[in-house]
Amino acid sequence: MPDIAATGLAVQPRRNGLLWAGGLLIIVAVLSNALFFVRMPGQRLLPWLNLVLFVTPVVLLVLGLRRAITRPEVYRGKTAGWILAGLSVFLLAFAVFALYASRNIPDASRAPKVGEQAPDFVLPDTSSKSIRLHDLLSAPMDNGAPPKAVLLVFYRGYW
Amino acid sequence: MGEFKNAGIRPVAISVDSPQTSANLCRRAGYSFTFLSDTDTEVTRRYNLLHHAGGPDGHDIARPAEFLVDSGGVVRWVNFTEDIRVRARADEMLAAARGIR
Repeated sequence: MPDIAATGLAVQPRRNGLLWAGGLLIIVAVLSNALFFVRMPGQRLLPWLNLVLFVTPVVLLVLGLRRAITRPEVYRGKTAGWILAGLSVFLLAFAVFALYASRNIPDASRAPKVGEQAPDFVLPDTSSKSIRLHDLLSAPMDNGAPPKAVLLVFYRGYW
Repeated sequence: MGEFKNAGIRPVAISVDSPQTSANLCRRAGYSFTFLSDTDTEVTRRYNLLHHAGGPDGHDIARPAEFLVDSGGVVRWVNFTEDIRVRARADEMLAAARGIR
């Protein structure tokens, strides 16, 4: 097979599709993570799908960048590749930091467990009236009957 | 929320926010259930849920946690998230509530 350059044909390097697909996918990955995946209550299988969404664009970018560097006569995108790679590193670092920051909470191994008595307490409500846990468990609901159970939700506050 | 009420569950929210801050939140978000203020983190400590310096400006706050407590005061279901962005599954909690009496 004759060398393309030797034939005298001026061949324009091709658009490097892998690079652009990778760059686009990483934006999709970060956005879907922030807007969708972490909002799924009690994640189970979905983190794996999310991980694939992050790994795929990195693989595409590495492959795209490699062929732009090693075969610049065939594939374009050397400059765009480095820019997209830099952007991706930045986005990935941001996602990893968000993951670390939101998981950096003390463990709850010493908190009350299933089957244990919930510690009683008295705390002020929004009108500064003192409320006891015992009262919450026994005061009638709208239907006139006391609740079957009270759902205590401890949240981080600063709303 | 209506599902909770039908299941006989009374939701109670607890945080270090002041009664005034919680009142503003309820008004803004339209919450009608009980919000309690543990401003000195005494109850949060009693439940071993203190997140030391976890709040803005290094304030102590509670790490997120949910407890379903039956009428005898016994814990019947708990949820301790590992990621503050991931919430509890309401269906799990409702299933636990159906198992009570």
